[in-house]
Amino acid sequence: MINHFIPKNLSEALDILSNHDCYIIAGGTDLMVQKHRSSGLLPTFEKDVLYISNLEELNFIRSDDKGVHIGATTKYRDISSSELVPQLFKDVISELASPNIRNMATLAGNIGNASPAGDTLVALYVLDAYLVLQNKESKREILVKDFIKGVRKIDRKPDEMITEIVIPHHDLHYYWKKVGSRAAESISKLSFLGAYITKEGIIKDLRIGFGSVSITVVRNRDIEKQYIGLKIDEFSQQIPEIIRKYDEIINPITDQRSTKDYRKKVAMNLLKDFLTKIK
Amino acid sequence: MLPEYKTSVTKVDNADKMAGKAIFTGDIQMDDLLTAVSVRSTIAKGKVLDIKLPELPKGYYFISAKDIVGENICNIIFDDWPIFVDKQVNYLGETIGLIVGEDKGKCLDLAAQVNITYEEETPVFEMVNSYIYKEFTKGNPELFKGAAEIYSESFATGYQEQAYLETQGMIVYFDNDVITVKASMQCPFYIHKAIMRVTNYPENKVRVIQPAVGGAFGGKEHYPSLMGGQLATALLKIRKPIRMIFDRPEDIAFTTKRHPSRTEISAYLDKHKNIIGLNIHVHIDGGAYKGCSGVVLSRALIACTNAYTFDNLIVNGDAYCTNKVPSAAFRGFGSPQSIFAIELFIHHLANHLGIDPLELRNKYMVKQGDITSTNGIFRDPIVLKELRDKAMKMSDYENKVKLYSRPGSNRGIGMSWFLHGCGFTGGGESDIIKAKLRIKKDKDGVVTFYTSQVDFGQGNRTTLKRIVVDTLGIPEDKVIYDAPDTSLTLSTGPTAASRTIIIVGGLAAKAAQHLKDIWVDGEEQEIIEPYVAPNFIHWDEATMQGDAYPGYAWGVNIVEVSFDPLTYQIKVDGCWSTYDVGHCIDERIVVGQADGGIVQALGYGYLENEVAIDGKFRQRNLSDYIIPTIEDVPELETGFVDNPFPYGAFGAKGAGELTFVGGAPAIALAIEMAIKHKVNKVPANPEYIMELLSHED
Ligand SMILES: Cc1cc2nc3c(=O)[nH]c(=O)nc-3n(C[C@H](O)[C@H](O)[C@H](O)COP(=O)(O)OP(=O)(O)OC[C@H]3O[C@@H](n4cnc5c(N)ncnc54)[C@H](O)[C@@H]3O)c2cc1C
Repeated sequence: MINHFIPKNLSEALDILSNHDCYIIAGGTDLMVQKHRSSGLLPTFEKDVLYISNLEELNFIRSDDKGVHIGATTKYRDISSSELVPQLFKDVISELASPNIRNMATLAGNIGNASPAGDTLVALYVLDAYLVLQNKESKREILVKDFIKGVRKIDRKPDEMITEIVIPHHDLHYYWKKVGSRAAESISKLSFLGAYITKEGIIKDLRIGFGSVSITVVRNRDIEKQYIGLKIDEFSQQIPEIIRKYDEIINPITDQRSTKDYRKKVAMNLLKDFLTKIK
Repeated sequence: MLPEYKTSVTKVDNADKMAGKAIFTGDIQMDDLLTAVSVRSTIAKGKVLDIKLPELPKGYYFISAKDIVGENICNIIFDDWPIFVDKQVNYLGETIGLIVGEDKGKCLDLAAQVNITYEEETPVFEMVNSYIYKEFTKGNPELFKGAAEIYSESFATGYQEQAYLETQGMIVYFDNDVITVKASMQCPFYIHKAIMRVTNYPENKVRVIQPAVGGAFGGKEHYPSLMGGQLATALLKIRKPIRMIFDRPEDIAFTTKRHPSRTEISAYLDKHKNIIGLNIHVHIDGGAYKGCSGVVLSRALIACTNAYTFDNLIVNGDAYCTNKVPSAAFRGFGSPQSIFAIELFIHHLANHLGIDPLELRNKYMVKQGDITSTNGIFRDPIVLKELRDKAMKMSDYENKVKLYSRPGSNRGIGMSWFLHGCGFTGGGESDIIKAKLRIKKDKDGVVTFYTSQVDFGQGNRTTLKRIVVDTLGIPEDKVIYDAPDTSLTLSTGPTAASRTIIIVGGLAAKAAQHLKDIWVDGEEQEIIEPYVAPNFIHWDEATMQGDAYPGYAWGVNIVEVSFDPLTYQIKVDGCWSTYDVGHCIDERIVVGQADGGIVQALGYGYLENEVAIDGKFRQRNLSDYIIPTIEDVPELETGFVDNPFPYGAFGAKGAGELTFVGGAPAIALAIEMAIKHKVNKVPANPEYIMELLSHED
């Protein structure tokens, strides 16, 4: 017998989680599709289900010195219309799915789903975003990059849920490109985010992330660090080497959406284009 | 005098569809309605040795070849496609049986537990085994021997999925002792015939009624006959209403699609760069059963010189047997494949010869009185020049060609022009279909007429009714015209081949005129109007010689794109079309066809990629099989040149397929200009473009 829980508030939700191993459903735009069986039939859930999308306590966007806090049930629609949210996220969301999906779906869901093609993940990795996981007793914080363990694998204990995502403030210049198969309602073939800060001709920060080219976002802080502190003209000379380094670590696959050659080539094209535009 | 028709009326189905009141197959409610789900082969070729069923609970049934009362054949021109696999499996996903019962979930569980043992055989997926071959020549191919140069190229097109909004679905039930069918379909009488053969029921004991249908594009021309045979077999055994509706992945994976093709063209040139003639060979992948592949091949061959006249031709075609889902009807029916090839070929040839492509195309453009590829005659006035000039002006074509041809422009514009033969090929209308239209009037002067034409959204119910209303000159509410019901209507043929308005519309106008001529107030009157082909049509199917079609519709598509050299992505920036559909009876309905047709064709040209690996389609839902969204489509501008056709209703010709056939070459040519590289394949998707350009790095 499968239970379906619709808690009234967060503490009730956490109570339920402390007693039941549940699927958590926010917007359901991933989970309901994954569990879809056939038209006219209910989805098949093998364990209890907890519906959280009506938890108003988790529907918030606020800002403090740590960053912008986005509640776990806040919809994309509201995220993209908030003045507190950095433009980069609005850019990412404007190309994610379609208005109907954005009216339902959540950022927490994109993280919880841990798909290689999750569009917000690249930005979350690059901006060192973290999330707050809560159970009945306690809270913990974890970087998104540490939370995601693999394809659909996350570091969540059965009694925990994501309550908020924190995006640290930044003043990075960025270069974002989602490469989908069409202009809207399109799952990424790959995505690329480059970001940097330069000051008085010197690279102060450099960050690079790739989506959909591996089981999860590819970001390598070690490579990035090697070039921070360089003068821009020194940096320009290093571009071929940087490209070579990423060339070694990007190994995409062929699937029903694209080919490994295409993903690789375009990832490298975008990287090169980004690097040569840094000034 | 022709009425000023362009004004549009509200489509008769609008209100119900907008309000969600229209009843589609999935909406029909009945007591004791059972569900059927398919048990499908998991191999592409082999013999079924044994079928082990799970224990079937009471009220659950397995239906298979053994239960067929009549013949285990679904006739689609040929008798080769079985209703259920008997012994031999010929493609992956072929139906071996049905599980039927009350609860769909339980049916699915049971179907998954059916255990089939096979003796596997080696399947063939490449185009190597030809099962239909056709050929014809024109003029004197002997002259090819004197050619100063031969220029050859090869072109390929991929699968295309119809992607109708409503997936395949059907209900069968007994109404007293009559097998009654409601289904998402195009051709009620095809289903009617298929069921008679499978059940041995007589004509008047099988009845097919059309509910609301959500799109078809050719995909519901033949496939519902197969489902009809399967469900009728189940009905005879179970004697309760049964419904089967495919989910999208099932529909994409196992129902018929557009034939993939390869076309080789060689031009024989004299020393002044004149084309002596062409040798064209079209290859199409027919899949496991022939079905209508022969006709698709014929139409591809007939259209292989598109709207050009070449005096000397050798034309060959093969349809190949592969262990894949049979390919079948799809908007355009063979001509999109060969028109794509010739449109690109002419450009490539011109570039090769150092001639402006437009100049070369103009030189061979069809004129009235020219001889067709099959030695028929283009009898009627041709307004292709006007269509071309109008489209070029609308799009600012010439300036853009100059601008975008420059290196590094990353933009391109492409133009196709094309024709489409309306109606069945050759004598098909008079020899095979033999349409008869019944029209009757009651004592109060209310007129009812019947056709077997299905309105699956394209608007023919509105237009056919308008033809009758205007011919009779009586108020609209005095004319009744409902969806087909084979117990009431005589067959006016399938809803296919762009024949509905040109043929059935013509027939309706004629019938209405005859009724008007003999009209007596207060009396019941009825007329049965048979189709009579214009007497100049002569066609020999065996040699493929003569007039292939009663009439041709014409068009021009111009597409503008931009290209992202980093991602190899194409964006469509503009799209202009002009058409000669004869006389537009209802312009908005024709524009509906034009918009939908070009969008579907653009998708075919640069987005829609369906790849079968070991006979299994890789893209199985609409997030992987990519069709254009509204965001991918620019403003579509469409213009018409009036050119009334003497034999259709009020001068109308066909518009359904015409609006599809030119889109792929137009966008492919635009892409060529943008990427500065020849394109020989559609879909010209980013992966293909990258491959093309990678040789240049
Ligand atoms: C048509 C369509 C188009 C799409 N296009 C895109 C696209 O372009 N880009 C893209 O990235 N995605 C896309 N998606 C996927 C999906 O919309 C996104 O991943 C979305 O962010 C999921 O959010 P949700 O709230 O609906 O998640 P849900 O389906 O509710 O949940 C997803 C997963 O996260 C878990 N989860 C949710 N909330 C929590 C929580 N608070 N704590 C712990 N775990 C939680 C769930 O248990 C589940 O495993 C598309 C989906 C559809 C149906």
